[in-house]
Amino acid sequence: MSKKEKKQNKVNDLQDTVKLDIPEDEIWTYQVPGLAAPHINKPYKHYNLKKAVFVLVIIVAVSLSMFFSVLALQNDTFEYNETSSGIEFSKFSNTGYLYELDIDYVCDIEYIAGNNDPNTNFKVVKDTAKPITSVRQFTLNCDDKIRTINIGANVEFVDTKAFYSCWALQNIEVDENNPNYCDVDGVLYNKDKTEILCYPCDHDEYLRQKYGYEKELFTEEITPEYQKDIQTYVVPSTVKKIGEMCFNYANLRVIYLPEGLETIETLSIFKLHERKNEWETTPSLTNIYSYKSDAVSDTRFTDEKALGEVYNSLPEGLLYIGSDAMSYNQALSYVYIPDSVTHIGHHAFWDTVYKEGDELKGVSCINVSKKEDEFDSTVETGQEWCPKYDHLLFKKTVDVVYSAERETK
Amino acid sequence: MSRGGKTSLKTKVGGFVSEVKTHWKTPAEGNYVPYKEYKDVVIGVGANYTGTKTLEYIGFWSSCFLIMHHYKLPYLTFSVIGLLNMPLGYVSALIWWYVCDNLGFLPKKTERKVYLAYGLMMAFGIASIIFDFSKVFDQSGSFITILNSFEGMNATACFKTFGTHFLYTGWVGARNIFWRKKLIPKYGRYKYSLYCDVIPKCVMVILIGWLPVYNIGDVATRVWVANLLFATYNVFGFGNVLEQCTKLISPNLQERILVRSYPVKLSHIFNSILAIILPAIVGMLRHEWADINFYRFVIPITFCISAACTMYLSGRIKERIPQPPIEKKVQIKFWDGMLGVLKNKYLLINTVVGLIDSLGNGMLPFATILYFYTFRLSGLPYSLLVALISFAGTPPDLLSPYFLKRFSYKQIMIFYQLSRAIGNAIIAVAMWTLGDNLVLCGTICVVVLFFMEMTKTVPTTAGHDMNIRIGDYQMYLSGERLESFAGIFGWFTGPITSFVGLIIPIFLLKYGFNSNWEILFFDGSRSNIVVVPIIVDAIGFFLMTIPYLFWDYDNKKQNMVMEVLKRRAEVTEQKAKEEGVSVAGVYKG
Repeated sequence: MSKKEKKQNKVNDLQDTVKLDIPEDEIWTYQVPGLAAPHINKPYKHYNLKKAVFVLVIIVAVSLSMFFSVLALQNDTFEYNETSSGIEFSKFSNTGYLYELDIDYVCDIEYIAGNNDPNTNFKVVKDTAKPITSVRQFTLNCDDKIRTINIGANVEFVDTKAFYSCWALQNIEVDENNPNYCDVDGVLYNKDKTEILCYPCDHDEYLRQKYGYEKELFTEEITPEYQKDIQTYVVPSTVKKIGEMCFNYANLRVIYLPEGLETIETLSIFKLHERKNEWETTPSLTNIYSYKSDAVSDTRFTDEKALGEVYNSLPEGLLYIGSDAMSYNQALSYVYIPDSVTHIGHHAFWDTVYKEGDELKGVSCINVSKKEDEFDSTVETGQEWCPKYDHLLFKKTVDVVYSAERETK
Repeated sequence: MSRGGKTSLKTKVGGFVSEVKTHWKTPAEGNYVPYKEYKDVVIGVGANYTGTKTLEYIGFWSSCFLIMHHYKLPYLTFSVIGLLNMPLGYVSALIWWYVCDNLGFLPKKTERKVYLAYGLMMAFGIASIIFDFSKVFDQSGSFITILNSFEGMNATACFKTFGTHFLYTGWVGARNIFWRKKLIPKYGRYKYSLYCDVIPKCVMVILIGWLPVYNIGDVATRVWVANLLFATYNVFGFGNVLEQCTKLISPNLQERILVRSYPVKLSHIFNSILAIILPAIVGMLRHEWADINFYRFVIPITFCISAACTMYLSGRIKERIPQPPIEKKVQIKFWDGMLGVLKNKYLLINTVVGLIDSLGNGMLPFATILYFYTFRLSGLPYSLLVALISFAGTPPDLLSPYFLKRFSYKQIMIFYQLSRAIGNAIIAVAMWTLGDNLVLCGTICVVVLFFMEMTKTVPTTAGHDMNIRIGDYQMYLSGERLESFAGIFGWFTGPITSFVGLIIPIFLLKYGFNSNWEILFFDGSRSNIVVVPIIVDAIGFFLMTIPYLFWDYDNKKQNMVMEVLKRRAEVTEQKAKEEGVSVAGVYKG
């Protein structure tokens, strides 16, 4: 049979009329060749047994599924991995009643029988023979209870994403004998303070308690004093690098960066925000300033005089701006890319501009120190590194002003 | 065109206009639907369809923008809630069987019993929500500590979620019986639900946007309150019922096809326009999809206008083929139906396919990630890209009859699964190797999505066609189509799929995906979070070809089955005639 004929046969298959000679008394029992025999108006064999098997199978299936699902979903509070360099803290699942976390030795929870107060019916037991040496990425992920993390002396490595989106985290304390890390007033740094690693999401609450503010102030209520004490942060002059996701979601309006800073990593100053009212938040970061003094260690802003010469926007000497480094900071209004920058990651300033009526607000243009051709040839830029705004139902990139002079403060 | 041709066209148009004018209010002889009702179908079904589509923006699932940007609920929590609700799902189905299986319809005494059962469920549910039953248990015992260890939950939230499901099940069950009885005689079996649900639904749509419960600080409390709010929202339906109604708009088959071919198809244009306008409006909001004003104003206004138009026109769209309410349909004994469907080999194959498909359960919606986190799309560009990809399926749809004739169901379905496997594999490779080059990687993904959409239409049509044939085969096997009993397979697969569906969410949690979707802005995490589940899904699609290798229900067998059914009809009709009994629904061949 030729190919064409085969095709034709196939097409005609459906139209083919099939004639079956089915006697009247076989209409309910006639079996089509290749198909199962009909079962109509006939009792099933072992009817009750089949019913029982069905019910049993369902009950067993549901029970097994529940059992294994619970096993899969049930989290140990502390999970660790043995690695070649020691014990890695890999996952923390809050019981719902833990507010402080020690990362020094392998821990476990022991419940106190008979105590029905969930806040006090357990104790954290430490195995001092097993020191923790590293903390894996996303060990804490979207925890909303932990307020303080204490890092022990033996911890050699903390991934920059280890404490991701810890909404209630106010401060990170590091044992002073730790040779690799330290903290400056609850903010995590490496030991020689050349890298700032984690500014806790709720650090403002810690500062409020420290400086005697009774409650969080909403946007309209914020006073200059409050902004200075709570919403301003001075990055020490030793710092060369702001780590990945370091300041994300922090409640800061002003950040002072040192002139020696070289790297602003991916998502490091991402989506800073404050409370507009009880129910809403709004972008908070209004200014980034740079300072020249090389002897600043106090992260609390007191006076600009202490910082030496202070100027607008990013510091001279900065080399690297990571992707999404300053995204979603719509309150920011001025950006100046200094001469030294050689890399700007994709979406570095994404969504920092918006339209209100016909007026552009936020970062309405990007000021670049270099000439256009020099910038194009010497700076590696990621896609969509400039912010965009709504324009005739589409998006338009803000202007890049080349050979710009830095705006005076 | 020749002069004669022009005249002929003019005459035809004139004739059509005159026909429409003449039969604007009164249908032509042999027809049942006046042209005025065609207009009502276009607007009414359009509004109803648009309303239902608008509601797709609201849901208790992680990719709903409200959950994603405002509630920020942990991803695994949805699996935990599913697990808590699973046993009660079986219990409530048992009650429904009790209603259907033993009685067919509800006599007073039984109705009271069912109401009592639902009432008790509601009472228990409300009590669980008001009081904290978890306190009854030993707080340091393993039961409570296990509940406390669930992601995003604690023992209190677990009990309240459990209670919410009781309340929901009882409330929906009782309302169902109450309103069916009251409204079906007046409004028919489809439209009745609009009349009892539309006002509370509008209220709930408004409340969902305005109740600021997403700001509750404690995540476990936020979870159970959100679950309660969405459960209440889901009690009231707003289905695409007017379109269902058009299936019964005329006893004249030709007229029915005409209504469903033109006015109903045309009515969907409202939603197509809205699907472009709505994202464009969102693009104008300051925080775009993350702007709460989308849920406070855009969705409620769109929905309320759609609902008002639907209600205004629903009375004008008539059901002209009376059908008994579901409760009064003749029911097959549960066990007979159940054993009947279990004999159907093709339903079993479909079940195995479904089981393998569950490997991909719990995956994040890839297109959403591509549009929002890779391309950062919003506004009109987003609308246009989505519309372009959706359109990809339309041209092949026109060629469906050719493909269905040319290829067997087995070939089409194997091709479908393989095309998905290959498409997903290409996306995975592109994301893995070109993750940094957003434009190139994104473009490859869009092209693959376009290709996958294109190759979806014919298998979907083939699937619908085969489902009808499977029904014919079931009719041959059991003497009835037993369509409602096909759900029994879900009873067996449910426990397995719910467990298998945990694999991907647990994996995603390991790579940083929890309640904060913004981790997807981080290139390294985005690759892991997207690529590995896509590979698992691709493997699933590849494995899904295996069951189809056993699919041997071809045209020849279908023709023979139809012959048997025809013969049965002939014989039974003949016997009935001889016995002087009238036969309803004579088989026409």
